[in-house]
Amino acid sequence: MTHAVKYHPGMMLMEQYVEGTLAPDVALAVATHIDLCPHCQRLCQDIHNDQASSLAADDAPVMADDFAALFSAITAEPQLEKPRKTQQRDAVTVNINGREFRVPRALSRLANQHGKWLQLGGVATAKLPAGDKMHVSLLYIDKGTEIPNHTHLGLEMTLVLSGTICDENGEYGAGDLLINTPADTHTPHTRADEDCLCLSVLSAPLKFNKGLTRLLNPLQQFFY
Amino acid sequence: MTISAEPHIRSGQWEDSLNFVALNADKAAYAELFNYFAPRLKAFGMKMFGNEQQALEMVQDTMLNVWKKARLFDASRGCASTWIFTIARNVRFDMLRKKQSRKDDISADDLWADGDYPELEESSSDQWETMLLSEKLAPYFDALPIAQRLVMQKVYLEEKSHQEVAEELDIPLGTVKSRIRLALDRLREALDDTRS
Ligand SMILES: [Zn+2]
Ligand SMILES: [Zn+2]
Repeated sequence: MTHAVKYHPGMMLMEQYVEGTLAPDVALAVATHIDLCPHCQRLCQDIHNDQASSLAADDAPVMADDFAALFSAITAEPQLEKPRKTQQRDAVTVNINGREFRVPRALSRLANQHGKWLQLGGVATAKLPAGDKMHVSLLYIDKGTEIPNHTHLGLEMTLVLSGTICDENGEYGAGDLLINTPADTHTPHTRADEDCLCLSVLSAPLKFNKGLTRLLNPLQQFFY
Repeated sequence: MTISAEPHIRSGQWEDSLNFVALNADKAAYAELFNYFAPRLKAFGMKMFGNEQQALEMVQDTMLNVWKKARLFDASRGCASTWIFTIARNVRFDMLRKKQSRKDDISADDLWADGDYPELEESSSDQWETMLLSEKLAPYFDALPIAQRLVMQKVYLEEKSHQEVAEELDIPLGTVKSRIRLALDRLREALDDTRS
């Protein structure tokens, strides 16, 4: 990989992700980031070891229970055979605008079931069957395209899967995770010669700031 | 040191037990694992679910998976306690999802890769070792989680080897290394926050 990932989820999100206490849709963005980021792959392993040691510690709290019946029931069960070869999941691709993109492991099952692409100008979105509280979708932005200046009414997580997104705060390449909150306003755009595919996780619609609000209203529904 | 009523745990003991379970369906080896982990998992489940019924369901599914999947355990990818912890975490996650009964929804299999990432070589933390000596980091040192602070203290202040610390604290060597890296990452984050 030529591009080094620069924007990571941060320690608190990583710990909750490993613990399994993060909201599933947010955890999906973190998992996809980890697939693309060797640094966080190791961090993740470190947190696993750390949390597991607390569970296995000598002085961990212990409950007195009679587990004899459970022990007999379990050991009466047949064991699973070791698979000959660890099966690799087939590479999953998504197609949009005549382009084919390979998606990371964490998204492969869900990306296979994406909803139909809705296209508006140079932007297209397809919903993933993932969200309960959040809105989870693939977001495609054609080259040389700008998403109008907007504020966020909730949490916006954008994970770049391919290409580059630029905004007032910086440039984000494959693997980079952008997190925006109601305190942030920005105008994301792609480069003139490169399109971009992202995973987008939104907890609330975007609020567009400029231009003719009436014209932008449908746009707001489009993103959410 | 903590005083424990249980016999001393030898390092590598749980990995050996799992291998016996995998090779011979060895019930005595499984009993050792079961007697140690089932009560701990129950306590962990009580903390996560807050009720006994779900905690017990988690113990049951987790320990069943430990028995059934023992042949899938690969000690080169991490120690036995980490493997059991991730099974429990996944069981718990899918239990919570099942309640909402949406079959296409995000599952534990989507979120956690089960260790199939390539190994990374050790990166040197030399620059951090000198940083650690500077007083700038001292205030953040106290904010580290206690398990990480303890390891850092033994390695950097008492100048013990990683192996010595693992034996003294009764934790796997890999966990000592993990805790050092986590502590360094936390200190780096704290320092970055003061810069920006
Ligand atoms: Zn990362
Ligand atoms: Zn935004």
